[in-house]
Amino acid sequence: MDSSMRIVPPAPSKSASLNDTANSLGLHDTLQFGPRSIAAETKSTNSLQHRLDHWEETQDNLKLTMLRDLYGLHAPARLLMERRAVSTNPHMPALQRSNIHLDILMGRDETLSPSDLFLGMERGPSFSTHMEMERKQRL
Amino acid sequence: MDRIDMDRLKNGEVNLGTSIMAVQFDHGVVIGADSRTTTGSYIANRVTDKLTHVHDRIYCCRSGSAADTQAIADIVHYALQLYTQQFGAAPPVSSAAAIFQKFCYENKDALSAGIIVAGWDKEVGPSVYNIPLGGGLFRQPWAIGGSGSTYVYGYCDATYQEGWGKDEAIQFVKNTLALAMSRDGSSGGVIRMCVITEEGVERLFVPGDQLPKFWEGHDVLPAAIKGAKVIDPVPMAVE
Repeated sequence: MDSSMRIVPPAPSKSASLNDTANSLGLHDTLQFGPRSIAAETKSTNSLQHRLDHWEETQDNLKLTMLRDLYGLHAPARLLMERRAVSTNPHMPALQRSNIHLDILMGRDETLSPSDLFLGMERGPSFSTHMEMERKQRL
Repeated sequence: MDRIDMDRLKNGEVNLGTSIMAVQFDHGVVIGADSRTTTGSYIANRVTDKLTHVHDRIYCCRSGSAADTQAIADIVHYALQLYTQQFGAAPPVSSAAAIFQKFCYENKDALSAGIIVAGWDKEVGPSVYNIPLGGGLFRQPWAIGGSGSTYVYGYCDATYQEGWGKDEAIQFVKNTLALAMSRDGSSGGVIRMCVITEEGVERLFVPGDQLPKFWEGHDVLPAAIKGAKVIDPVPMAVE
């Protein structure tokens, strides 16, 4: 949780990053993604996409900061703790995933959105189980 | 993919180019605003209500971008409801103003909002807080804001007296707003006012044809002036 009263996501800082193509050693994974290219690394500023991607997170952060200011640090800390407790999923991140408990805590149990139809399968079944498990353990 | 520039949203936005005002008197505050909302030169709403309730005895006057000020007022309204539930009492006007100021300052790169917060509370009585564009907080006995306010600073400085009662404060607000609305293109319509006291909130409405009138100039042809030679137009000789 970021203690800020931002109402809308702030403009992204323009920077290049290796994060998308990094392997577990922190370097560019040539075996999987091919040689490095500037086009892939430099982040072009598509501010609308950045704004939409970070919208829900910013609104949620605003509410948590308001709770912190009013009730004290324990209030958002408890909510975040509950969310984390509910997110520990023993299943492999392979096929259809849905977390009703988390949906209830986040207040989206009574709404339908594309993520409810795709249920984690937006990109189709993933064939690199190793990558998925690595990404999950880093949680 | 097309690059959409988020900054461009600011340029054509619906604008509360405005005249807003708040004056503190002995037992309460009088707040007032014009009623025009423009998108460029089109008047999107000529009967806007710019006096927004954020709590029972705390109102805010909004100027600047309509969307920005509505968003801020909604969030502050929510925050003050949380406050009331936690502390079991109405929040002081200074707390409400501090919450407004926190939002306006932390989001100053994304917002275009000038807000005047005014109200009555038990600890201090009436108070008026001005939060102009950068997000500073200033407590003042009277405050004016919006694009029309620039035309009436002189009138307000020359007219305001301390120790006024309710009727004098209402007349002051009415006259000031009428003068601002007559000179500023982005202000006009009707005058809406609220009188906030310990007893409650009273809404006042002055329709556009009953605004106080000041010097409005003369006809071009002064026919009533004695000795003025009125020359009747003679048709031109056409060959």
